[in-house]
Amino acid sequence: MTDLQIPAKPRGRWKPYAATLVIVAITAVTLSPQWGIAFGFDAISRNWQNGVGKILEMLSPDFSFFPRTVAPLLETLQMAVIATLVGSLLGLPLSMWAARPTNPNSVTRTLVRTALNIVRSVPDLLYAAVLVAMVGVGALPGILALVMFNLGTIVKLVSESIEANDTGLLEAGSAAGGTRAQINRALALPEVAPAFINQTLYVFELNVRASTVLGLVGAGGLGLLIDAVRTFYRYDQLSLIILEILILVLLLDKFSDVIRRRLV
Amino acid sequence: MAPATTAVPPAPPGTPFAIRMREVTVRYPNGVVALDRISLDIEAGEMVSVVGLSGSGKSSLIRTINALVPVTSGELEVGGHRIDGARGRELRAVRGQIGMIFQGFNLAKRTTVLNNVLVGRLSHAPWWRTMLGAYTAADRRLAFEALDRVEILPKAYQRAADLSGGQAQRVAIARALTQEPRLVLADEPVASLDPPTAHAVMGDLRRINQDLGITVLTNLHLLDLARRYGTRLIGLRAGRIVYDGDAASADDAVFEEIYGRSIGAQDVLEK
Repeated sequence: MTDLQIPAKPRGRWKPYAATLVIVAITAVTLSPQWGIAFGFDAISRNWQNGVGKILEMLSPDFSFFPRTVAPLLETLQMAVIATLVGSLLGLPLSMWAARPTNPNSVTRTLVRTALNIVRSVPDLLYAAVLVAMVGVGALPGILALVMFNLGTIVKLVSESIEANDTGLLEAGSAAGGTRAQINRALALPEVAPAFINQTLYVFELNVRASTVLGLVGAGGLGLLIDAVRTFYRYDQLSLIILEILILVLLLDKFSDVIRRRLV
Repeated sequence: MAPATTAVPPAPPGTPFAIRMREVTVRYPNGVVALDRISLDIEAGEMVSVVGLSGSGKSSLIRTINALVPVTSGELEVGGHRIDGARGRELRAVRGQIGMIFQGFNLAKRTTVLNNVLVGRLSHAPWWRTMLGAYTAADRRLAFEALDRVEILPKAYQRAADLSGGQAQRVAIARALTQEPRLVLADEPVASLDPPTAHAVMGDLRRINQDLGITVLTNLHLLDLARRYGTRLIGLRAGRIVYDGDAASADDAVFEEIYGRSIGAQDVLEK
């Protein structure tokens, strides 16, 4: 047997230790009395009984309340459908503008990306609050808020998927004398379609969930009802609404699963 | 753009393109000189093999002709159209008449063979039709005819992902033919195919040249294919032409001159 020529150990083995140290340091600072957030566990012992009462009430949902939840539930679903449709249709071309292979022009690409980073950094509840002030209470501000929220999500995820795809084929479109729009339509679109449909379904699920909350600031849907029953401490009615949302979300999850499986 | 000073008037409709290069230099942004003052005339209807080691500039030469790679300096005319400095609509119109075949096929795998072949009509069909995917019966007819010519018509409605390598390259050839091209460029078209398929694809390219009279330029790194399927052979080394002559009479000594080393088994398809 000859002597093995074992290669020298690669450098940089200290990195995991350094990372651990940084994480520990950040945690320590966060918990410290001077710089960190102030909280104590004693609050739990003082208040837990309040919560138990509410939970007990919620364990017996008031099913007689069901008829009054139907219309808001449908409104929530309708808001989600419209917002998903508008958001995804606007998001598709914007995704192509935001991805390098489908938009080699760095000026417009950076412009679209920056604009959508700003759009994405604003929480949906804030959109809803501002839009309720602008266009009034109802489903419209909710839908608009969801569209903004959808644009941010879809463009981010779909443009990243475009950049991850093989982009050599787009060159075939250039060689055939196509314009950028033609090449994106004929070659990039079929390749990105599964990712796009996937993200659209995902956003639809998020929309159903989000549109229940948006009502809290007056933007239509189940949230308005949630706000109303909560104000009157009707936790039995609240739990029925939560149960309905749970079933709706489970059904949607099943539905999008079926579609996804047919995509690949 | 100012009217280009053309040495040759634009080729009349339907006739194959000739290529004229004068002192063409291509320098990439990273400083690499891929083509070094190349002057070259290719007549309409020729079948040319371009050989050279990887990095010799043969891929750059082919890609310069349809401006996928921009000319740094020098003059380039294809079919009487000035290519160096051409942009936008003018460039797309010329590209629309130049078919291109790639080593990696470059098909949209998730759509049908027919949709891939119709990409060849992008620069010919009205913009709105290409965006809606509503091609005319005449355009679809061209696509079907092209598929028939490479004997793959029955696959028209299959997804491109389900094709073998040889079938995919034939679809790519059909896409180029659907352009009704006057020049076909092939960049290592058989480098990822097995020997029998490689011969079939090279045979298709030869028939395009002989039956349709289209000028064909093919990059190859395998000497026997270059000799057998080209009528003219151009050898590149370090961005310069080191051989230009009859393909059939190019012997191993010629290839050793082009490659700058002795010829081995890896340089031929058939052992």
